[in-house]
Amino acid sequence: MTADVSLRAWGLEKSYVVQSIRTQALSGVSLALHPGELSLISGPSGCGKSTLLSLLSGLSRPDRGEVRALGTDLCALDDAARDAFRLVHCGFVFQGFNLFPALDALEQVQLVLDYCGIPHDVGRRAAARVLDMVGLGPRQHLRPAELSGGEKQRVAIARAIVKRPRLLFADEPTSALDSVNGAIVTDLLREIAHRSGTIVVCVSHDPRLIARADRVIEMEDGRLCRDSRGASRSGATETCP
Amino acid sequence: MAVALARKTLVHEWRRFLPAVMSVGFSGVLIIVQGALLLGIVGTNALPVTQSRADLWVGFPGTQSADLGRSIDAGAAAELLVDPRILRVEPLLLGSGDWRGPRGGGVSVTLIGIDTRPDGLGLAEAMPRSGRALLTEPATVLVDAADLDKLGTAIGGAAEINGQRVRVVGTTDGMRAMGGVNVVASLATVRALDRSLAAAGDVTYYLAALRSPGAARAVKARFSQSETRKRFEVWTAEDLAGRSVRYWLLESGAGVGFIFATIVALLVGTLITSQTLTAAVAASTPQYATLRAIGVPFPKLRRIVVEQAAWVGAVGLALGLAGSLLAAALAYLNGIPFALGPGIMALSGGLVLSVALLAGVLALRRLRHADPAALLR
Repeated sequence: MTADVSLRAWGLEKSYVVQSIRTQALSGVSLALHPGELSLISGPSGCGKSTLLSLLSGLSRPDRGEVRALGTDLCALDDAARDAFRLVHCGFVFQGFNLFPALDALEQVQLVLDYCGIPHDVGRRAAARVLDMVGLGPRQHLRPAELSGGEKQRVAIARAIVKRPRLLFADEPTSALDSVNGAIVTDLLREIAHRSGTIVVCVSHDPRLIARADRVIEMEDGRLCRDSRGASRSGATETCP
Repeated sequence: MAVALARKTLVHEWRRFLPAVMSVGFSGVLIIVQGALLLGIVGTNALPVTQSRADLWVGFPGTQSADLGRSIDAGAAAELLVDPRILRVEPLLLGSGDWRGPRGGGVSVTLIGIDTRPDGLGLAEAMPRSGRALLTEPATVLVDAADLDKLGTAIGGAAEINGQRVRVVGTTDGMRAMGGVNVVASLATVRALDRSLAAAGDVTYYLAALRSPGAARAVKARFSQSETRKRFEVWTAEDLAGRSVRYWLLESGAGVGFIFATIVALLVGTLITSQTLTAAVAASTPQYATLRAIGVPFPKLRRIVVEQAAWVGAVGLALGLAGSLLAAALAYLNGIPFALGPGIMALSGGLVLSVALLAGVLALRRLRHADPAALLR
């Protein structure tokens, strides 16, 4: 039997209570995501897509349901074990870049490897290599204030993938970028999925990203309503009930 | 070496951390300067001890401070000299007088009578050998160089003490006291000036030099038996000096004032530093949350904040010490007693670093906001 390399969820339910009003963010969401694919979760604001990303990545727990990532039941792990799981397997890219102002691009990336316990010199070389890969080799000694928005997001992507995670989660990675940089970042995410067999999950409503994704999962009111594959989206496999 | 996130952030955003560094530094200066001044002032009561070269001091049993010495029987000298470890013994007298200078008006003075032989022990640190020789002439006195103005006199000037004429033949150095004025004279002159000392052959203290200073505690122990203790008590020089300082620290209330002001300085320092560090943590919340998302455990983030606090403390402490050295230099130039010793510096350093670390711990509460799930809302 081969190891389970996918990311699966069954019957996810999650609700929030804000000012004593309960909002159902997810209702019975089940899906399976596969290695080597750039999967996009899309939908209107408030449809629950960020909540779904949070549950799939083990950042929060569902009220009900199960998430199994690379064969591990995330919901059964305690906080420390989920931290350890994420440290080994998960990379994140956020809309706001979230880079440390005091560190140059190389240090931003290397910092992650420090926390993974990689020796300094090895980490430094690996960080430089990944920055090269995202096209920032010559600019690795610049701080965030000296980089453009697109370059910052590429540093953030380099930071997310430097430890070679098997799961990469991106939340609106292109929304703050212009069309050229948006395209560069989209292609990068696609390439990461295809070349390294990473499960790349993006939450976005950016049409440029939708057009380039291998799979698009659309959501509405906390439920999945359409799941389609292929650039032309001709092969719709599921629709909302 | 790992990426020094805490230190690099501190350097890069130094303006943000400046208030914390300054408040830590000022707390340090305030504690050190206050403490050194207090110890310096209180320490002036121990000047006869600290400015002399005796290994042992012998005085009235139960004396609480060097300046409060009472007479003991002159026979004590013979008893002391029985011990072969004692090389020699010389008397020291403490008396009081009313100084009247050419400007008129009285100044209360403390009369200190010393043995004028060239290698005398009493106040040996406060004057050159030539100064002692000058006192062999009757009715001559030395006053401290820093007190000349206060007494309205100069070397060669004349004055009256307790109605008797004296001549100022020289100065001492480092004998300036806070309460009154120290006037140094020969034993005979002091007996002549202070009539309460004139009648009896009693002395205030005997100063003993040992063949080997290392034996001080052992010799002291020998003379601390109950039968001798009724007539006199023996202290090492450090004992008596320390006892004098402690007595005045507790007795004068100045010690309580120091403790109160130190608490205020520490409180203000902690408040400002914790506010600054909290603001710094708040500004980095998304970055910290991102590290949490990647799986960096919470304790490692705490370490970043505590390390920043430690740096703030260290830099602030360095500033504080520099400021205190400057204050010490100013005090020295102005002849102000300022006891900047390792004790007060270590105390202040420890307190100030605790302030910074406590502030760091308070700032950790803000770190709880670094919830990675919040980045996805």
